[in-house]
Amino acid sequence: MVVSLLQLSSYVAFAIFIVAVLAKWRQWSSMPIHLRWELYPVPHEPEHEHGGSYFEEFNFWEKHREKNHLNEMKELFTELLFIKRVFDFKRQFWFTTYPFHLGIYLILAWFALLFVGGLTQAYTGIAIPSAHPWAQLIYYLTLLTGSLGIILGTLGCIGVLLYRLSEEDMRKYSAGLDYFNLIFILVVYVLGAISWLSFDRTFTTAQAYMTAMVSFSSAIPQLNNIILAHVILLELLWIYIPFTKMSHFVGKYFTYHKVLWEDEPNLRGSEVEKKVREVLGYKVTWQAPHFTAGRTWAEEATKPSKVDVIERWEP
Amino acid sequence: MKDKTRIEDIGKKGQMVKLREEDLMELPYPYNQPDMEPKFTEPKDEWRERYVTDLDGYIAINIPVKRPETKEEEERMVRRFLEGFKRLLTKNDHWTFLQPLLLTLEYCAKCQACADACPIYLASGKKEIYRPTYRVEVLRRIYKKYIKGKSDFVSGKIDLNWDTLAKLAEVSWRCTLCRRCEQRCPIGINNGLITREIRLLFAQEMGFANKEVHELGTVQHLKVGSSTALTPDGFKDIVEFMEEEIEEKTGKKIKIPVDEKGADFLLIHNAGEYLSWPENPAAFAILFEEAGISYTLSSELVGYDGVNYGVWYDDMQLARIALKHTEAARKLDCNSIVVGECGHAHKAIAVIADRVVADETNVYRQSCMPILWDIVKKKKINFDPEKNDFPVTLHDPCNMVRLMGVVEPQRKVLRALCPQFREMSPNGVYNYCCGGGSGFAIMQSMNFPEWRNKVSTRMKLKQTMDAFKDCIDPSINKMLCAPCSNCKGAIRDMFSYYQVPQKTSTYYTGLVEFMVNAMVDLEEPYIEWEFH
Repeated sequence: MVVSLLQLSSYVAFAIFIVAVLAKWRQWSSMPIHLRWELYPVPHEPEHEHGGSYFEEFNFWEKHREKNHLNEMKELFTELLFIKRVFDFKRQFWFTTYPFHLGIYLILAWFALLFVGGLTQAYTGIAIPSAHPWAQLIYYLTLLTGSLGIILGTLGCIGVLLYRLSEEDMRKYSAGLDYFNLIFILVVYVLGAISWLSFDRTFTTAQAYMTAMVSFSSAIPQLNNIILAHVILLELLWIYIPFTKMSHFVGKYFTYHKVLWEDEPNLRGSEVEKKVREVLGYKVTWQAPHFTAGRTWAEEATKPSKVDVIERWEP
Repeated sequence: MKDKTRIEDIGKKGQMVKLREEDLMELPYPYNQPDMEPKFTEPKDEWRERYVTDLDGYIAINIPVKRPETKEEEERMVRRFLEGFKRLLTKNDHWTFLQPLLLTLEYCAKCQACADACPIYLASGKKEIYRPTYRVEVLRRIYKKYIKGKSDFVSGKIDLNWDTLAKLAEVSWRCTLCRRCEQRCPIGINNGLITREIRLLFAQEMGFANKEVHELGTVQHLKVGSSTALTPDGFKDIVEFMEEEIEEKTGKKIKIPVDEKGADFLLIHNAGEYLSWPENPAAFAILFEEAGISYTLSSELVGYDGVNYGVWYDDMQLARIALKHTEAARKLDCNSIVVGECGHAHKAIAVIADRVVADETNVYRQSCMPILWDIVKKKKINFDPEKNDFPVTLHDPCNMVRLMGVVEPQRKVLRALCPQFREMSPNGVYNYCCGGGSGFAIMQSMNFPEWRNKVSTRMKLKQTMDAFKDCIDPSINKMLCAPCSNCKGAIRDMFSYYQVPQKTSTYYTGLVEFMVNAMVDLEEPYIEWEFH
């Protein structure tokens, strides 16, 4: 019964994670258009090497606008996979945060491989491990990503935690929650490491659990208390992450694509102009004397405005 | 000495930081010699009474302050601030920057990778209050604790009281909005934006900002026609004066087009050029006349002053001025607006205000730099680079390069026309601000210029001296090219403060002056080796 509930909780935790991440994505993507705030170099600009933009062309609106999407992807993945800016500008910290993040990527890859392995076992009849080449591939990749993920993630997490505690510049800016988040992750990692090293060195139990999950079977392996605690805390972590700033993997898309690299010109008749027309219709309620109550942005910006100024800042 | 200031110290009584000579970033030769720069001074007692000097002893918010005398008065001020903060978080009131604001409040990892990007932080000797994340973290903690209702454990310690408000308002005027820090952020958040958001909150909710930027800036601009108080009639007089000057200096009789309908584009200069550096708009007139370019100036109210101080603190003032600019172009049936040598005017109208125009107000806007390079590239005028055979370096206005991507045309002109051109380091999109950005260049009251000269422009002085280190001897005339009125304003004050022309024979000017100076058919040099 406990095991069945556990299985159910895994489905629920994963579902909450997905729904919450999607909701987060929707929240950011449904925001109104904002004033431009791009920052050069913008990698999709053909002249990005020196940080140039289409403004370097006279009458740019008459020219065909090219975008270098390949370079944008290159820049994105360099940052995502190698955390390049921290490497360039905070090298010491990079030696802790990079293993930490790489550990997470490897654990995600490990999950994906367990998932594929689960599907393989449940729906093709190929056992993992077995002599079948596909099974061999999945088995060894699972072993590699899981082992490396746990080692790098655990050490990286300890490193990030110690770094944050020891470097005054970071410590002064950190709240209790920042440490709680790291400790939470660390506990999950440590329990995962103990489970792996003590009970499941080849991830056979993990693979069996995933196989039961993808086949909706109740044939879940027996889990000892350490593994059980690890699974439950991991589920709680999955649920927790989207509601914290650890969901910056979602935010990062928007900070780059919708702010720093968003340089779409407002050409006449364009989609941008349509959106601008819409937001200029919003009503403004700012209280400073140079605003007039009840006006829209367009009215406030174009009709004669009051020129009162505050002579003194007072209660 | 390591600055031990903590975030929550902003809410405590008393001056947070005292700047000391020995902490400042060291300057290169000759400014590393004894007594080469004036010392810090103390604010006058009457200033301490009337204004907020509790941040670092300097005053940017130069409207008088009446401190709350009772708890109720203090709470009323805090409530007013929080009401404004809530408006900052609504799409109706703040669609303009809602998304980047929330992303920045949400996602900072506090890794501090951005800190060493900031020229003010570095120049001050790494004073905590100038760290790019300091004011951002104060605002973030207020957001979490007082807007979202979280505990100190979640938000981090902060007390929102009179001291916090007063110093937060003041510290938002210690960043030039150069956004160099944002280039280093692994998550991509916008510390520079938050500086502006704090200013905006005080301006749009409570109605005040620095006086030269708001009252004498945007308000005067909209009312009189220019933040310099130049009226349309005054502008026409200056144009006539420039025509006479051009004839006297070059022998060329040029009629500068004003209010000519149907020209290809409306050229808008920063009106400060007409008053402080008329040789710059005059050089444009000479070049465009010689190259046969169709353009006009406008004498329409606001249409002859390209500045837009709204870009530093107030979205509505920004929109009002930008729409006046496009209206001026529309009335003259111009195809586009071309901005002269003014960095913030470039960014304001071409980039930021690109999202406040629609339909008939959507007149296209662009930089003058590609046109200038086109004149050189296509040999529309005969130039002799030997006429510019002296050391030249280029200061990149942040608004033009990092915030707009206009990087190469201006340096192509210099490479073609100045044989001794050398880059300063770093340059282009990675340049350092002149130190006069975000309004600092025009903020001249009380002791703010001292702070600007000693801290804010310090990095630019260092870069300039470094660029000329092989020829720093005062017997060699050197020129710093600063294609931006505000940058020139900051550099002028910095040069005067440190006596740069006297001690090193380094001068400054705009870009077009080099072009006219190199014109073959000009008998006398256009560039004058004098400091003004």
